[in-house]
Amino acid sequence: MNRIQKIAWVFVVCTLVAFAVSLVAVGILYYYVGMPRALCGFCFMGLAGLGGLASVVFRKDEGSVAADERDQLFQRRAAIAGFATAYMVMGAGCMIPFFVLGPSATIAVTWLPIIFMAAGISHYFVYAVAILNQYGWTGKGGQS
Amino acid sequence: MTNRIRRLRFEHDEMTQQELADKAGVTRQTIIAIEAGKYAPSLPLAFRIARAFGVSVEDVFQYEGHDGIPVDSSEQT
Repeated sequence: MNRIQKIAWVFVVCTLVAFAVSLVAVGILYYYVGMPRALCGFCFMGLAGLGGLASVVFRKDEGSVAADERDQLFQRRAAIAGFATAYMVMGAGCMIPFFVLGPSATIAVTWLPIIFMAAGISHYFVYAVAILNQYGWTGKGGQS
Repeated sequence: MTNRIRRLRFEHDEMTQQELADKAGVTRQTIIAIEAGKYAPSLPLAFRIARAFGVSVEDVFQYEGHDGIPVDSSEQT
């Protein structure tokens, strides 16, 4: 398993843990303070940022070449998948309220940073999953 | 696309995958993927691998058409 795979694994785990903690927090807050204040529980999605420490923890791989054309290809594909997902999340965040609430309804602007955060986190989550899907989820295998 | 990298490595004093990777300027994982036929290298990398063995690209890589029939170089335009 190379350094990129390890970082991707850490980010997938951190994002899933952050999402689980956030859902629990929203559930608890909903019980005590109700909506929309319960949405503050999504602040725990900030835990996903701990995945960024992986690039500091895992050192450069041994060998004279750290990354080559295959690594660049995988990262380019993963970035495209991540951006496509972020675009779809942003689109869904904009269109779903329109169709659910109607064209004359209004929504609180507090939803805007939540949609933006969801797009960003989904981008990095899909990026990490795409990296692992191409290299292989374990230290062996992987596709071209 | 098939290749003879494994055989060529053993014919060249049992060259290790790491040694070939260093000569070709790629990671060992990429050499493993190419050997296993899981990754088709770019043309410059194919030339670097062939140069590491001192042979031509055709001696390392063989391309078969989509129907599995080997492509004859004389048929190419």
